[in-house]
Amino acid sequence: MTMTGYQNKVLRIDLSAGKHKTEPLNMEFAAKYVGSKGLAIRYMYEELKPGVDALGIENKLFFTTGPLTGTPVACSGKLSIAAKSPATGTMNDCSIGGHAGIRIKYAGYDMIIFEGKLEKPGYIVIEDDKVKFMDADDLWGKGSHEAESILTKKYGTDYSVLSIGPAGENLSPMACINSDYYRQAGRGGIGAVMGSKNMKAVIVRGTGGVKVPDIEKATDRIIELLQKDVLQEDNTFVYDSGTTAFLEACNDGGILPYKNFSDTTDPDWKEYNDGVLMEHRKGKRGCGSCGLGCGNFLQIGKAVCEGPEYESISVAGPNAGIKDPEHIVKFNQVADDLGLDTISAGDTIIWAMEMTERGIHDFGIRFGEADKMISMLEMMAKKEGIGADLADGVKKASEKFGGTDFAMQVKGLEYPQYEPRGSWGMSMAYAVSDRGACHMRSYAPNEEVFAASIPPYTAEGKGQMVYNLGEFNAVKFSLCVCDFWGTITYEIMAELLTIVTGREWKPEEMAEVGRRVLNIGRAFNQREGFARKDDTMPERLAKDPLKSGPAAGQTIPREAFDDMLDQYYKVMGWDENGCLPDELIETL
Amino acid sequence: MKRLKFNKENCIGCQLCAQVCSAMKEGEYVPSKARIAIETYYEDGDLKYKDDFCILCCICVKKCPEGAITMNEYIEVDMAKCTGCGVCAEKCPKHVIRIREDKAYICDTCKGDPTCVKTCPQNALTFE
Repeated sequence: MTMTGYQNKVLRIDLSAGKHKTEPLNMEFAAKYVGSKGLAIRYMYEELKPGVDALGIENKLFFTTGPLTGTPVACSGKLSIAAKSPATGTMNDCSIGGHAGIRIKYAGYDMIIFEGKLEKPGYIVIEDDKVKFMDADDLWGKGSHEAESILTKKYGTDYSVLSIGPAGENLSPMACINSDYYRQAGRGGIGAVMGSKNMKAVIVRGTGGVKVPDIEKATDRIIELLQKDVLQEDNTFVYDSGTTAFLEACNDGGILPYKNFSDTTDPDWKEYNDGVLMEHRKGKRGCGSCGLGCGNFLQIGKAVCEGPEYESISVAGPNAGIKDPEHIVKFNQVADDLGLDTISAGDTIIWAMEMTERGIHDFGIRFGEADKMISMLEMMAKKEGIGADLADGVKKASEKFGGTDFAMQVKGLEYPQYEPRGSWGMSMAYAVSDRGACHMRSYAPNEEVFAASIPPYTAEGKGQMVYNLGEFNAVKFSLCVCDFWGTITYEIMAELLTIVTGREWKPEEMAEVGRRVLNIGRAFNQREGFARKDDTMPERLAKDPLKSGPAAGQTIPREAFDDMLDQYYKVMGWDENGCLPDELIETL
Repeated sequence: MKRLKFNKENCIGCQLCAQVCSAMKEGEYVPSKARIAIETYYEDGDLKYKDDFCILCCICVKKCPEGAITMNEYIEVDMAKCTGCGVCAEKCPKHVIRIREDKAYICDTCKGDPTCVKTCPQNALTFE
């Protein structure tokens, strides 16, 4: 059946031939996976044969919107950017804010697929149905910020710019894609895929629109939900202080990581918390169609960024043994400009700090050395000096130099800033996430620490908990709606989809879509050879008890971790090896 | 007489104003055809605002060579008289008038009950 909200069009760009064409959106896929995350993975499963080299010409980039994109549904402005990951070899889907997703939709497309490789560095200009291939001679080698500035001045602010920095150009597995300067498709080396295609940037402008049935009534209800459900305190805390609000909660909860996850809690956390950072705020910003405006544009000294977010604060702050807020903002700014994922780059540097302090290998940097942390970013982005040894992340570096016990990663993607010894389910969430250690799949601390709805230091019930959280986010990010509409429910999701698509969606179907999206991601990885052996937990968590905070004394015994994995596989209907049976794959 | 006011400190650049304006006026979410265009953007390390909205200065009313534009509580364009000459758009100090297919499209504050104001999630737009 037809669904409104979609443009029913995919733009396929052949970079090798310098050509493009459009084709209808696969509505069978859309009916099962809706859009954004889910739709992207389903297309990847179809089009990326197993064994493809993530940095090779056969990998593809999928820029995917959902039916809600380009409507006033609150928090619907995010864009999924997906490809096979050069960091992990798994599937990877990132979510980037700003305005690019909405403009792609207004240009007339549900999805843009980039195939092949440009002969020499270039950028792509998309304006409605026009696609131009431009030379990037004067952009290549420049920071992402300078590139975006040049392009915006040349083409105007009606265009959204998606660009890579030197990290992506140098094929760093931690390279990100930037937009609006400070929004990223951050993890898994998505920027390196763009760099491997010689694409410095994609700019897009759209003068078209999105149609929905009974638009006045639809808009009334959409805005009513914005005013009544989105704009309530449970969600609006992100306007007040962005994700810096998580600092206090994580510190109190004993999950704020300290000195490369060797401990938790920082008694000096108030030196860089939201109270301090927001004093330097110069402006507020949100994505397109947002209602909440989580972006804080701030300046400390000469350091400027929209942020910093909790992940960047933690990894450049307590996890690095640093307490200087100006350093944290500078770290954010420099990483963004180089086009480096702050989480992976930060985690790799702090691992190097511990290696140096323990005398295992001298990387020339110790905890607390803020200036060196910043210069390390540049060396890693350019693969120069000591940066060359660290550029590929902690998994590869630890395989070469030792220190694998405290190389905090899963499948080659570095750990986000939540200490699992204080939230056991998170160790399993990191292990089973579809793209390596990611906190945006199953956000366990919400239940185990903030809501305290389940005891944090046991394995009991964690399989079901991690599944429930994962199912919820999987469907939410397939509509898509941003994480920060925290109070959204399956009922609201179904109602919004029904309003926009003109097809009756039921709340139970949201759960089905979520489950399907989890399964298709796993199926992709399974075809690449991933199984239980890759759903890992760093030895540190089993061996080293925490010393401070509410979780002092905690380790996660291997039996408990294995038990949680067993529970999760059972809930998913996978075998003990974490693999989908054929009958299940056929339903996808 | 009430007019639109923009408080930039509150604006988060979500552009919901343009989306709902175009919904009401064009039957589609198509901001390029809205009667308002507000955005925020970064330039040279600073956060900037573009605030194109009708301030009821009535320059368009005065300059229209066909007398097609009138003002009572809000601006109205007599489409039968409008030739799409573009003088109003050229003279509009807020650059917010759009000429399409030989007609001028100008904000009419939704006849005194502006949808953009009712929608703005952060009270950046008011009607006072």
